[in-house]
Amino acid sequence: MSWIKATTRFICAWRRPDELVREVETELRFHIEMRTRANVEQGMRPDDAQRAALQSFGDFKQVRNNCCEIRRSLPFDSMPLRMGLHITIAVLAGLAALWAVNVPHHNFTGVMRQLIAIAVLTYLFIVVRRSKRHSDSEHVNGVLAAPSETFRANMSLTSDMSGAPSANITAYDEQGRTPVERVFKS
Amino acid sequence: MPKSNVSLLQGTLDMLILKALSLGALHGYGVGQRIAQISGNALKVEEGSLYPGLYRLEQRGWIESEWDVSDNNQRAKFYKLTRAGRKQLIIEEQNWERLAGATIKALRAV
Repeated sequence: MSWIKATTRFICAWRRPDELVREVETELRFHIEMRTRANVEQGMRPDDAQRAALQSFGDFKQVRNNCCEIRRSLPFDSMPLRMGLHITIAVLAGLAALWAVNVPHHNFTGVMRQLIAIAVLTYLFIVVRRSKRHSDSEHVNGVLAAPSETFRANMSLTSDMSGAPSANITAYDEQGRTPVERVFKS
Repeated sequence: MPKSNVSLLQGTLDMLILKALSLGALHGYGVGQRIAQISGNALKVEEGSLYPGLYRLEQRGWIESEWDVSDNNQRAKFYKLTRAGRKQLIIEEQNWERLAGATIKALRAV
């Protein structure tokens, strides 16, 4: 059932983009308010608490846009779809070639039909190229990288860890030391 | 003492979110708090990375969200683990244990 929900969300995200932005903003604002409350409870003044909450959150617009972008991405692996498009283009190209052979060239309608067929094929080719480039860039940015894929990729001893997508998590101990500091300064 | 960021693999954040939600439904802020709590305040997820992570997991069908009212009577979006997410968490935990075991083994090699 989850794919039905995901597809509905995907369609809604494209049909009502303003609503999506509002929804994400409401959620992020709630987070900032909760952080502000926590800061106040720790003894900060309300103004300072809010400023600190906004600062610790980071770039609000960037986070909001990232969330909206993820919601607008396809809720399934687009590889089969792209393969299907490639096959369709190949079939259409074959049909167009047959058509070109059979249709008399001196006929104006025949020439127009061939031109339309070529235009359709070119358009499909551009769509497929664009979707491939978009999906590649998403993969590089780690937007669609599944944890298991990430782990599998980095389990290999030959893989380059420096290029691996990373999440910003800070690991400290009770004295505020990072794992590296713990090892070298103990 | 100045604190430096340690970048962990993205999969780690996703796994931690799944783990936090395996203990019960939470809103985004709660997820960050729970990760800090279950790691004994050793891990602090940067808030800006948390939400794209939640959206990504929801997109994959591993978690689902629902608007509800929070403890302080505010409208908030609550996330919970789906059945697929629970299965995925088991896979991630196994992968992580294998990776950690292999790394420790490599580091202890003489």
